[in-house]
Amino acid sequence: MTTRQMQAHPAGEHEAAAAIQHGDSGMPTALLGMLLFIASEVMFFGGLFATYFNARATTPGAWGPPEGAHELDIALAGALTAILIASSFTMQFGVWAVRRGDTGKLKMWTGITLALGVLFLMGQIYDYSQLGFGIADGVFGTTFYTLTGFHGAHVFGGAVGLTIILARAVRGQFSARNHVAVEAVSMYWHFVDVVWVAVFSTIYLLR
Amino acid sequence: MATTTLEPRASTYRRSWVLEWLTTVDHKKIGILYIVNSFLFFFAAGILALLIRSELAIPGIQFLDQATYNQAFTMHGTIMLFLFIIPALSGFGNYIVPLQLGAPDMAFPRINALSFWLLPLGGLLIFSGYLFGGAAAEGWTGYAPLTNRAEGVGTDLWIVGLTLVGTASILGAVNFIATIFKMRAPGMTLFRMPIFVWTVLVTAVLILLATPVLTAGLIALFIDRNYGGSFFDPSVGGNPVLWQHIFWFFGHPEVYIVILPAMGVVSEILPVFSRKPLFGYRAFVFATIAIGLLSFSVWAHHMFTTGSVLLPFFSFMTALIAIPTGIKMFNWLATLWRGKLILATPMLFALGFLSMFLIGGISGVMLASPPIDFHVQDTYFVVAHLHYVFFGGSVFGVFAAMYYWFPKMTGRKLNEPLGKIHFWIHFIGFNLAFFPMHQLGLDGMPRRISDYSADAGWTLLNMVSTVGAFMIAVSIIPFLINVVATFINGEPAGDDPWEGNTLEWATSSPPPAYNFDRLPPIHSERPLFYLTHGHGHSAERPDDLERDAEDDPERRDGLA
Amino acid sequence: MPDTAIGFVLLGIGILVVLGVVFAISSRGGPASTAGSPPRGVHLPGPSFLPVVLSVAVALMGAGLAFRGEDQLANPFLAIPGLLVLVIGSIAWVRAANHEWREVEHGSHDDGPAH
Repeated sequence: MTTRQMQAHPAGEHEAAAAIQHGDSGMPTALLGMLLFIASEVMFFGGLFATYFNARATTPGAWGPPEGAHELDIALAGALTAILIASSFTMQFGVWAVRRGDTGKLKMWTGITLALGVLFLMGQIYDYSQLGFGIADGVFGTTFYTLTGFHGAHVFGGAVGLTIILARAVRGQFSARNHVAVEAVSMYWHFVDVVWVAVFSTIYLLR
Repeated sequence: MATTTLEPRASTYRRSWVLEWLTTVDHKKIGILYIVNSFLFFFAAGILALLIRSELAIPGIQFLDQATYNQAFTMHGTIMLFLFIIPALSGFGNYIVPLQLGAPDMAFPRINALSFWLLPLGGLLIFSGYLFGGAAAEGWTGYAPLTNRAEGVGTDLWIVGLTLVGTASILGAVNFIATIFKMRAPGMTLFRMPIFVWTVLVTAVLILLATPVLTAGLIALFIDRNYGGSFFDPSVGGNPVLWQHIFWFFGHPEVYIVILPAMGVVSEILPVFSRKPLFGYRAFVFATIAIGLLSFSVWAHHMFTTGSVLLPFFSFMTALIAIPTGIKMFNWLATLWRGKLILATPMLFALGFLSMFLIGGISGVMLASPPIDFHVQDTYFVVAHLHYVFFGGSVFGVFAAMYYWFPKMTGRKLNEPLGKIHFWIHFIGFNLAFFPMHQLGLDGMPRRISDYSADAGWTLLNMVSTVGAFMIAVSIIPFLINVVATFINGEPAGDDPWEGNTLEWATSSPPPAYNFDRLPPIHSERPLFYLTHGHGHSAERPDDLERDAEDDPERRDGLA
Repeated sequence: MPDTAIGFVLLGIGILVVLGVVFAISSRGGPASTAGSPPRGVHLPGPSFLPVVLSVAVALMGAGLAFRGEDQLANPFLAIPGLLVLVIGSIAWVRAANHEWREVEHGSHDDGPAH
């Protein structure tokens, strides 16, 4: 066992540590964390989609709401899709605004995105109330509510995130240089939107 | 409550140690918490194993009725996998990876602490089934529709507890990946990272992508059991094979999650105790990545006998995954070849890993063949295979890591003679316990049965197996004595008791709160080796000496 | 052997083992430290109760789901306190993280936030 003579790297260490946190060298660490988390969420929905596809492929007879219940409301779902897609655009406008340093526009676009998200949630709840079948009503009911329900829960989570960055934006905490939270929440919001497009296409279009 | 600037006193003043450990966000303390917690669960699950083996030693029901027996093997498997092996390896990862990278901590220290604390709480939920009418009893694989219809709250507690544990894993995986990509010391390119860090990285990716699928399945199962869902129960239109697909899509990457870090530990130990560099570093890295990728393509080899899977595809992919594993085997052997072997306890466990995992791997390749698998599915042959890879592989890896890194974590060396006694009783006991199970399986003894006929001809091998199991239990005694005695009054270890190659040995034992006062220059995957032995004094040359100049400020400034 | 008896036996053994380990660790004393303060640029976060608190909250909610009665989503006596603690704890967490981010932006640019 020997003792070691070390050569110091004080400058390198300092710069490296600061660079890591500020993301001067590549993506900010917090944003990488959010992307990784989103990857895990993609796999979670993958599991739920797998149950839907397997159920669809192996269930005999007609595939859809049980006897006596309403057919799925494609028009409403289509409107909800349009709302969510629009909200991704508005979210991105907000991100571009803050990258330019325009915190006023950031607040506006974030507020609009949040409003659209809440509108989506209300629409989803309204849809549920009109459907006439539940999670316990057969394979279709189970898979339908599980898939759309967990998606809705993720929209709610995204709405919470949007509220937080809206509040912080109002308090003037974001700048062109420092707005990682906005980027992170926007990534999550786009993910929620993409999942909805997949849910909508699968359940309402592909059937 | 949480401060952000370092309190200079933080590493030197002593508050109540209970509070200190409850509120720590230091990766080293969190690593120790993981390890201690996982060993507690190891003992609990080990006791369950002893109960199982005691019951099975001779025909006839002795003291475990069928319901209790089912709970025993269910909890044994669940606890061992989810609350012992993975957390133990995670704990070593937590402690060692930032040190090996030259980083001051993990990327997200508070989330790191959250990942830990979810574990004992999840484990408590799972175990508490015993207090409320019976723990889960459907096997650690929780097959539907048995789990759909199981009465009582034990299965629901199992589902909820596992969801907590799974979430903890996923958060930990995010942390490890972010740390490895963003917090390496200057000069440490990806291909200079220790192999242990590489295996932790690939493991983290597997956890990130596979565990959420389990979570989805568990939630679906909960919905079936509690809210009238129809996912898996055929009596309401569900598909039980769907559960198997979802579970094993997670379950197979899971076994690689369990083995890869242990392979990483062995890859750290063999070079140090052979006084030779690891043979084929790059091949190792690519083999690990290949195993990670392939692990997602083989899941249905657990389901050959359902009649619902494409046998040739899954058989082929499973056999394929033996190739990168074989490459690793040969690289390990080549590392040992002509080395100056030092047979200290960490090395003994590493060598034990090599031999036991080899046997487990061979029985695995046998199982990859449907003609064989159809005959031995759900028999003790599979139980033998899984214990050779999980126990002979991962658990030997955990003990190797314990003996190797204990000096770094505590500043004291574990006693060598006691370590050797532990190893040998453990090794002999392990083989006595599990080798006979190969034969039992071939003779047709099914798994998960609490009793068997005296006419079956299985009695002798079962008795031998039970003796082996108790030997394993006995071997833990010198281990515990060793750990406790060394904690209290062990011989001081110094910074680098094993003459290691990697950065964790370049700081004190245990390291200060911020890990390093200063880092040595990093030009290769053995930065400490080159510091001691100098460039050009050994047969090895650090890689890319010329290309280094750009990324090493010291060399650029002409100081090196 | 009845199930609950096994449960208690295991609990008892677990407690004894925990006490043994606790004794071993505490008799060794606090963490050793050879140097006073870290090099510049190294930022370490302070200790926090929130990980434990949030874990307990989530476990309570989980227990609420497992112990639900007929026709309940979850057992309200477990799930509601759990949810409350989760929400309050999460708010505290986010506020602490915000505070740390702001210190970075308005303080020196040496170091970064912790999470």
